[in-house]
Amino acid sequence: MKRAGKYLLLLTVLVIAVAPVYWMLTISLKTEVDQFASPPSWFFFTPTLEHFYDAFVMRSFGQYLVTSALVAVVSTASALVIGTLAAYSLARFRLPHNLDNKLSLWILSTRMFPAIVTAVPLFLMMRDLRLLNTRAALVIVYTAFNLPFVVWMMRGFFAELPRDLEEAALVDGDSRIGALWRVVLPLVAPGLAATAVFCLIVSWNEFLFALVLTQTDAAMTLPVGIAGRVTQYEIKWGVMSAAGAVAIVPILVFALAVQKYLVRGLSLGAVKG
Amino acid sequence: MTIAFKNVTKEFGNTRVVDDLSLEINDGEFVVLLGPSGCGKTTTLRMLAGLETATSGDILINNERINDVPTQHRDVAMVFQSYALYPHMTIAENIAYPLRVRKLSKRTIEERVKRVAVLLEIESLLDRKPKQLSGGERQRVALARAIVREPRAYLMDEPLSNLDARLRVQMRGELKRLQHQLATTTVYVTHDQAEAMTLAHRVAVMRKGRLQQFAMPMNV
Repeated sequence: MKRAGKYLLLLTVLVIAVAPVYWMLTISLKTEVDQFASPPSWFFFTPTLEHFYDAFVMRSFGQYLVTSALVAVVSTASALVIGTLAAYSLARFRLPHNLDNKLSLWILSTRMFPAIVTAVPLFLMMRDLRLLNTRAALVIVYTAFNLPFVVWMMRGFFAELPRDLEEAALVDGDSRIGALWRVVLPLVAPGLAATAVFCLIVSWNEFLFALVLTQTDAAMTLPVGIAGRVTQYEIKWGVMSAAGAVAIVPILVFALAVQKYLVRGLSLGAVKG
Repeated sequence: MTIAFKNVTKEFGNTRVVDDLSLEINDGEFVVLLGPSGCGKTTTLRMLAGLETATSGDILINNERINDVPTQHRDVAMVFQSYALYPHMTIAENIAYPLRVRKLSKRTIEERVKRVAVLLEIESLLDRKPKQLSGGERQRVALARAIVREPRAYLMDEPLSNLDARLRVQMRGELKRLQHQLATTTVYVTHDQAEAMTLAHRVAVMRKGRLQQFAMPMNV
């Protein structure tokens, strides 16, 4: 009986979590008439791919998808490279006057104010650099916003690793960077994977800066493109749902692929193994 | 290789861990740094390896001041108390690491790994990971990794302290044999008097960062 109650609870949570996604998927497959049917037809309707065709062939959603993917991957990669190096030095080297800790806190503090605060200055900077409506602008901004997160996550992973291993590598004749590459990074790989997933998701979903910094199809990302179908005259539910359904896929696939590392990465240090 | 400390002092903040240490070690000599924990013996060893920098004084290898030479260019091998085996590599890869870093050919690496594996009787373990090994076996692997590249000197930081008593005695004998065979300068840190007496050519007794006595075991 107790067991049944547990499953009932899980089922309820599952339905609440999945229902909106399911709703979006059905909308993307329904004709416009079916979309507004009342009562709504949850399961039985004639599926159509017209909205996918409309979004990705007639409109520029294919291009948005490419932009989103490029920007997410490049900004995540740069944030990981820069952030990992910074985190490693912060975890391992002591600066005079406790500067290393102060520096870490300062890096973290850049995440403490609401993002909107920086929207206007960033817009002006990008305008002066002639980077408005470019993918480069988004890559730069996303890298900057992911950096503190990478630094703090990776710093924790590095700090937990015994120093002996790197020292052994140094005595064995390896350089600092060689020891980092051959000994340290393979050991924090789960943490690195978990961090990468979060960066990717943040970049992929980011809306505010993409909206402010891009107005043309040249550098529009999926979230902005989707939101742009809400216009003064009509709301293209079908197109939006079709694009939304596609937008879910990469993150879903990626998260499933690294799930093993994700759990290990997040619980790393919680249990000494 | 000769090693010399000249008026070496090391301070961490306001604590003086090593205090005006002067010590000369001859080529091929086995010297044990003996003392209670916190006496500065490990710090002394780490300064020699380049893992700590001396606050003042000179450290010389073959009469050359090496204070500013980075660890990887000192060509000394160190055996850590924790063994510090690379957990993601097999035993063979662990032993090969110092050679791989020096970009030796694959064939040479394989040959030399094989040779030390035979010397330390760990050939059957080469494909395993450190996790699958017992303490004594890990100890041997750590030694093999140090020996394989034929360094100018061995530095050993309480290498036997994580072993049980029986194994410790056995490994002690083996170290003695190796030292005899290799005849390479060795600096060995321990707080175990028996270890110091059986292994050392000369024992340096340290206390509170100062050298108390430096003499043959029978005179300590």
